[in-house]
Amino acid sequence: MSWRVTPDRVVGVGALGVAVLAPLLFSTYWVSTLLTETLFLGIVAASLVFLSAYGGMVSLAQVALYGITGFVLGNVVTNGNTKGLNLGWNPWLGVGLGIAIATTVALLLGALSSRSTGIYFLMITLTYGVIANLFFGQVTDFSGFGGISGIDAPAGIGPVTGHPNRLYYVALGVSVAVYALLRYIVRTPFGLALQGVRDDPVRMSSLGYNVMLHRTLAFGFAGFIASLGGVLFVWWNGHIDPASIDLGATIDVLIIAVIGGLTRVEGAWLGAFLYVLMLNYLPSITFLGSIGITQDRFHTLIGIVFLVIILVSPNGLIGLWERTLKLVGSSRFGRPAVEAPGGGTDV
Amino acid sequence: MQETAAPEHAEPILRLRGIGRRFGGLNAVSDVDLDVAHGERRAILGPNGAGKTTLFNVISGDFPPSSGTVEFLGQDVTLTAPRTRAKLGMGRTYQKSRLFLGLTVENNLYLAVLGVKTGHMRPLRLNGRDGELREQARDLAESVGLGGREQTLVGSLSHGEQRQLEVGMARAGSPKLMMLDEPASGLSRAERVALTDLLLDLDPSITLILIEHDMDVALRVAQRVTMMHDGRKIIEGSPDEIRANQVVHDLYLGRGHQPDA
Repeated sequence: MSWRVTPDRVVGVGALGVAVLAPLLFSTYWVSTLLTETLFLGIVAASLVFLSAYGGMVSLAQVALYGITGFVLGNVVTNGNTKGLNLGWNPWLGVGLGIAIATTVALLLGALSSRSTGIYFLMITLTYGVIANLFFGQVTDFSGFGGISGIDAPAGIGPVTGHPNRLYYVALGVSVAVYALLRYIVRTPFGLALQGVRDDPVRMSSLGYNVMLHRTLAFGFAGFIASLGGVLFVWWNGHIDPASIDLGATIDVLIIAVIGGLTRVEGAWLGAFLYVLMLNYLPSITFLGSIGITQDRFHTLIGIVFLVIILVSPNGLIGLWERTLKLVGSSRFGRPAVEAPGGGTDV
Repeated sequence: MQETAAPEHAEPILRLRGIGRRFGGLNAVSDVDLDVAHGERRAILGPNGAGKTTLFNVISGDFPPSSGTVEFLGQDVTLTAPRTRAKLGMGRTYQKSRLFLGLTVENNLYLAVLGVKTGHMRPLRLNGRDGELREQARDLAESVGLGGREQTLVGSLSHGEQRQLEVGMARAGSPKLMMLDEPASGLSRAERVALTDLLLDLDPSITLILIEHDMDVALRVAQRVTMMHDGRKIIEGSPDEIRANQVVHDLYLGRGHQPDA
């Protein structure tokens, strides 16, 4: 594969450069809050974009899976001062268990929904999200509505309040790794066959493929990716409660993915960045408050922005970028290939 | 298997007994018996709604029959999953192209070649193994007249090219039995001629079953013809017998039409 200079790569490498230097360029608040949140929300959204773009499965269960990781981690690592099991085990064991359990649950749920497509798949995965939310709310042994507090990142990364840059760099590293992994996997036999399942499952089956197993494994893999975001989230937040994975949170991740663009994985971090910006800065625009759009009505604004973006560009911000490239006559660059994650978002 | 014996004495590669398929109150296929010998070229003719495609779907396993049995290579496969039948050596095309429109020609054929092999779930790229599969995919592209178009997205191929690719996809798994569902539909005269040549050039050891409305294509390619009407098999014979048959003329051309001498 030749490494030509394309607009995508220029922007991608530039964005990655800015992301690496971010602690030097931006305030601590930006790095520790806005950018770190962008990165882990981007990872969760990327797991959704992957399933949608390459498997034709729009899943609303990614937030539930990220939450399962968070709750497992919380139960395993805390020590006596909060809700949950308070097992007080090694924090890395918590990470491993959280990821393993969420991935296993994803495989089981994936098998259960592997016969469904389209709106039915969407509704089934929405059900998973609702079940996870209610489960952790009502099973007080594991959490209860108050949630689990005091979840620290392991030594070397935490305490997060004292060393915000460490968590930021961990999140950046994981984002880049996830991005590279997704880019790689879609070109392997597994990834190509997944795209075949997306385009025509009946044909795939008559060619000799096990379509349901393929969907199940893809869902499990996406659950694994979402669980990485879940680990970063609880380290960053120090706390997780059922409201972190309620219907609102589920829809927010879908909105992030759609704003960014459901066709390319890069869009996930782009959408997350815009979402986090809106979350933080829209409420401080006093004009909006004076016309009655207060913080409580934040979702009205998100809704309007969402509507405008998908009306202007059905493929989200990534689609807008691709169209702009075409307009300036850069179609000779062919299909865009690389844009760094974490990346695309910080410009 | 008795592939070495002369085809007419050998065990048939495909044997259907009493196949029926109901959709609600409709008997799409009723009580069809069919024997196809190794290496035979068989055409299935019949007007729209005769049950030809339903019969194909039952043979390939896309859905099970309501009654009857399907034997392939002497093995009862009535309830076997389509993917398992593909591995046993069945390959098929669809009346309406079922291709992977978001992938390139090469990747479509790559998936078709990989389908009957192991390693569907391999999450690694291996240069040697993938190179081998890709080479086969490119050879197939060449053999169905799509050489040079390997990197084109299938969604942007013309209808005729998509039909050519359909044939390539069906051949990819080196099937023993290849079923083509109206391969010539929607093709121009020149494209139909090219397709007929392609079918005549197929390896003679491949058994071929063809559904086709175009009599020129069907009768040139086929050695035996099965005629269906209203879900039932009504006649079976050589192309010459079919050409001369009054019932065929009634069904295809309307009653009262006199066959040309």
